[in-house]
Amino acid sequence: MKWLLVLLIAACGSSREGVVLWHAYNGPERAALEHVAAEWNDLHPETPLTLVQVPYDAFADKITSAVPNGNGPDLFVYSHDRIGDWAAAGVIEPIEFWVDDSIAGRYQKDALAAMAYRDDLWGLPMALKCLALFYRTDRISAPPKTTDELFAMAARARGSYPLAYANSDLYDHAPWLHGFGGVVLDEHGELRIASAEAADAMAFSKRLIDRGVVPAETTGPLVETLFNEGKADMALEGPWFVGDIAKGVPWAVSTLPIVSETGRPAAPFFSAEGVLMSARARDKDAAFAVMLFIAGDRSANERARDAGQIVPNAGVHDDATQAVFRKQLEHTVLIPAAPAMRMVWTPYMTALAKVQSGGESPSDALLEVEREVRRYSEPPR
Amino acid sequence: MSTASNQMRDWGLAALFASIVAIAVFVGHRNHELRARQLELASAGAEAIAEGREPPTGVEAAGLVGAARPSPHYAFLRKRTVITEGKVRELGGAHAPATDKLLYDAAQRFDRNGAFVELLGDNSGRAVAARAAKNGIAVSVVAPSNPAGMPWLILLGALGLGAVIAAAGALVGGAARPLGLALGGALLAIPAYGWGGAGATISIVAGALAITFAQMRGTIDRCAAGLRRHKTALAFLAPATIAMLVLVATPFCVGLVLGFFDHHQGQWTFVGLHNFGEILSGGGRAFDDPLNFWFILGVTVLWTAANVILHVTLGVALALVLKQSWLRGKGVYRMLLILPWAIPNYITALIWKGMFQGEYGAINALLHSAGLDGVSWFSSWSTAFTANVVTNTWLGFPFMMVVALGALESIPRDFYEAAEVDGATGWQRFWHITLPHLRPALAPAVVLGSIWTFNMFNVIFLVSGGKPGGSTDILVTDAYRWAFERGERYGMAAAYGTIIFLVLLLWTVFGARIGRKEEAA
Amino acid sequence: MKRPRLATLVITYAALTVITAVVLYPVLLVIKKAFEPGRQFAINASPVPSTLTLDHFGDLFGARGGHGELMFLHHAWNSLVAAAATTVVGVILSCTAAYALSRFRFPGRRAGLTAFLVVQMFPATLLIMPLYVLLDRLGLLNSMAGLVMVYATTAIPFCVWTLKGYFDTLPRELEEAARMDGAGAWQTFWRVMFPLARPGIAVTALFSFMTAWNEFIMASTFLTDDSRYTLPVLIQSSVGQYSADWGFFAAGAIVTSIPVMVLFYVLQRFLVGGLTAGSVKG
Repeated sequence: MKWLLVLLIAACGSSREGVVLWHAYNGPERAALEHVAAEWNDLHPETPLTLVQVPYDAFADKITSAVPNGNGPDLFVYSHDRIGDWAAAGVIEPIEFWVDDSIAGRYQKDALAAMAYRDDLWGLPMALKCLALFYRTDRISAPPKTTDELFAMAARARGSYPLAYANSDLYDHAPWLHGFGGVVLDEHGELRIASAEAADAMAFSKRLIDRGVVPAETTGPLVETLFNEGKADMALEGPWFVGDIAKGVPWAVSTLPIVSETGRPAAPFFSAEGVLMSARARDKDAAFAVMLFIAGDRSANERARDAGQIVPNAGVHDDATQAVFRKQLEHTVLIPAAPAMRMVWTPYMTALAKVQSGGESPSDALLEVEREVRRYSEPPR
Repeated sequence: MSTASNQMRDWGLAALFASIVAIAVFVGHRNHELRARQLELASAGAEAIAEGREPPTGVEAAGLVGAARPSPHYAFLRKRTVITEGKVRELGGAHAPATDKLLYDAAQRFDRNGAFVELLGDNSGRAVAARAAKNGIAVSVVAPSNPAGMPWLILLGALGLGAVIAAAGALVGGAARPLGLALGGALLAIPAYGWGGAGATISIVAGALAITFAQMRGTIDRCAAGLRRHKTALAFLAPATIAMLVLVATPFCVGLVLGFFDHHQGQWTFVGLHNFGEILSGGGRAFDDPLNFWFILGVTVLWTAANVILHVTLGVALALVLKQSWLRGKGVYRMLLILPWAIPNYITALIWKGMFQGEYGAINALLHSAGLDGVSWFSSWSTAFTANVVTNTWLGFPFMMVVALGALESIPRDFYEAAEVDGATGWQRFWHITLPHLRPALAPAVVLGSIWTFNMFNVIFLVSGGKPGGSTDILVTDAYRWAFERGERYGMAAAYGTIIFLVLLLWTVFGARIGRKEEAA
Repeated sequence: MKRPRLATLVITYAALTVITAVVLYPVLLVIKKAFEPGRQFAINASPVPSTLTLDHFGDLFGARGGHGELMFLHHAWNSLVAAAATTVVGVILSCTAAYALSRFRFPGRRAGLTAFLVVQMFPATLLIMPLYVLLDRLGLLNSMAGLVMVYATTAIPFCVWTLKGYFDTLPRELEEAARMDGAGAWQTFWRVMFPLARPGIAVTALFSFMTAWNEFIMASTFLTDDSRYTLPVLIQSSVGQYSADWGFFAAGAIVTSIPVMVLFYVLQRFLVGGLTAGSVKG
């Protein structure tokens, strides 16, 4: 199929200024992507591909303002959870037109489904991200299998915390939320924030602090510092953390423990980073050809090998760390792409912070979150 | 003769206004006409396909699109066929024309929302129509077409004729002069009627009449004389004013207008004063709820006052100290004290946030080493607010210091020498010489500084992030949250911006009144 | 001036030392991060780095773009051009406007002065979108010219007000003298008034430069071609979605601060040399 499209491009002649792709990668991921782009340019000099790095903070806003004005890229790399917003606003183009079963069969079902929204396919997945349990092998010989074991670790005082994670960030709190059976949006896309299970999960996160398992008020950067300096033995982190671990720190990864109260595994959010096509792409056929290459098997192999990405392409060989993440992916919950989800993060963070500092009861806090999010997602009268 | 040239000047004004209106309505008319033409063609094409005929010329692609055949494995994949010129083929695939995607998209849309005729949203000028047909969906795509060119002949002709009429009126003199002006200026109303209807004609005629009236009353002559009188001043003022009008006033006006709309999932709806009502009523929450506008306003006012007082005090004090002739190493101190301003505030704000961290931050480490308990800075309002103020003061005092240094420089030494000879103490010298001289130069910095502090987004967002529970948010951070964390409600954010603007305006006007009373006293 | 009492001396130096220490401490932490290996900040509160490395500076100066070009020099140049242009444009526009507002009486003078102030009151962060569309319509998107104009108009209100204040303190006799010698309005302005307002211009120039030099948000929104990026955008690219390379950021922050310090060093003699004292006697 790929070759047929290539021929198609060649046959169509050229009024090409090429294809422009925006991304927010840095470090090894950026180098790997640039290498893939260089390969494409070698193979297809008539359709030059230009990569533009855009800082992550400004990325989504730039897309939202540039594309409708015709100044945006043809393709861009972003995680799937904005697809709902962008699809509703007409910023991205549905691509199932070019995709048949054989192309679709190259990707893991869940990963491809992440790029779908309301019966259309909006992009091809490139990399999967979720949290797993990183631990220092000089402190811990066997990572805890259940949360009771985790609490037991705290009892043995040793001058460092057993675990560190960003307590008030919903993304980091999600493993406990799902482990207790709570959700943010249920399978029909309805808000189910204020539930007994979610309240249990919040109370659990407070217990973790009170019993000295985790430090309070921790932010993402602090987690990494604590792990590297030995003030925390374990950290909840994702595949990006591998490059952040300081030299000389012996480490390993394992899947998250099982929540003893419910017997379910702690299940983090998983997000799929993929290539999306702008609705104003100048040459959509050419753009799709590039998209297919960037998300294709050859590129996936390189990105997995050189940048440590967990790729959704079937048949790619995983190293030990990637294998653990692959296993963890079996127990994850996809971040909902519905627009309502994006309004949940900040109020939930506020609620977590309040509960963890002892200011409010979990059920009250969750009711407030749900009330607020409902308010924001209602259209004006 | 001066009356003739004045007449031409006045005619020029009327003609300018008329030309702008005429061109605007022409462009609107032309776009409308093009759109109607394209939609008509697309519709005709779809109809032809539905009835099995050949589509008319100008249709880029058309056919009978079959029903979607979903893939057995994936809910979101499907294939469609199209019948063009009697032949069936798959939509898409190798060697497919680029228009296949458009046919597919149209069929998808038909399945979801029913028949439609529309211009494509991608600004390509293409029109697409889809309607039900016996064996499928009749779709036609019309290629973009060029709009009609500008009617230069008509425009120049009308303008030329108008100029002649106006000149003739001036030459004849008397009552013919204003008559000639009105007639000559309104000539473009005739073609404008064909483009914009009665509205355009009436506005052009009204414009011409207004100019004529102004001429008869001598208003234009007075304005021209005024401009001539002040031409040097205006020439000096012009570059900055033009730049500000274009690049600042325009977005500002857009921001004001946007406040009357609501943006929800890509749609803009006019909601009048609803946004303002929602904000000013506090969203139906109690006054001590951190998300209530009045609470946030209170926090913002407190924040601004605390910061400005600290910045000015620290900046002026340091500037005074650094002016003492007996101080050694002034240059070194000056360079060091300006560092907070020089380093990008993103990283320094985050460093301060790290310093205030409850368990590992440097400030608590310092407190511990002094034997005191650490403070959980972001768990209570007062400590989080203090953290924000400390950070912002650190960031902001160098600016005030530099301004004060410059201001102190302009005070002549003789005043101080004379005061010393008279036996004035240091404090008297400060109060009677330094302060009065400092005030005018420091005033702009203080006024603008307070406006900037009122709208200081970075520090609040990066240091406390609104903790605890959003209570240290100031107005501008809450507006930001409306724009980016609550579903892209840009209308609400714009309304917020307008309210912030009004608050600051009121404060400035009020403060200026008080300032003037003090000066008079 | 006679030397002050010992107590004043001691207190002043002590206070200065304490304040300078407080001011310097976070800066030292940034410098420490720039020289310490690792991507995260260390917990240790001491401002002295435990190990030294030049890796971060190496990453900063050696960063290569997609086509193999050295990004740092490229973006530094862009920043320099933008900031220098902003300074020149800002100073010229503000000086002329301030001169008019100070020296001439014309209808709308008060209103004009207030207007410069009033337009700053609408929070700029909320105006990025309309400004984006406006620049696009004017064809100034993704261009240095557009960015410079936006920065200049951000800096103008403060500069106009400050310079007006300075011009107000200069006596009119000098201009009258120049006028009697036959100088036109522009000559008077350029030859007589402009040089006398040096402290004001120094503050204005420094402020305009800083407005442009460290600005990140507008640069990253209005520039869509990464060959036009300025230095802050390059530094910000090290902050990713999940983690950031703070060593790179710290090195970048240090390097970015140096030109500002240099500029201040050059301009500060206008703030402290006795250039105007005594020259304005009647």
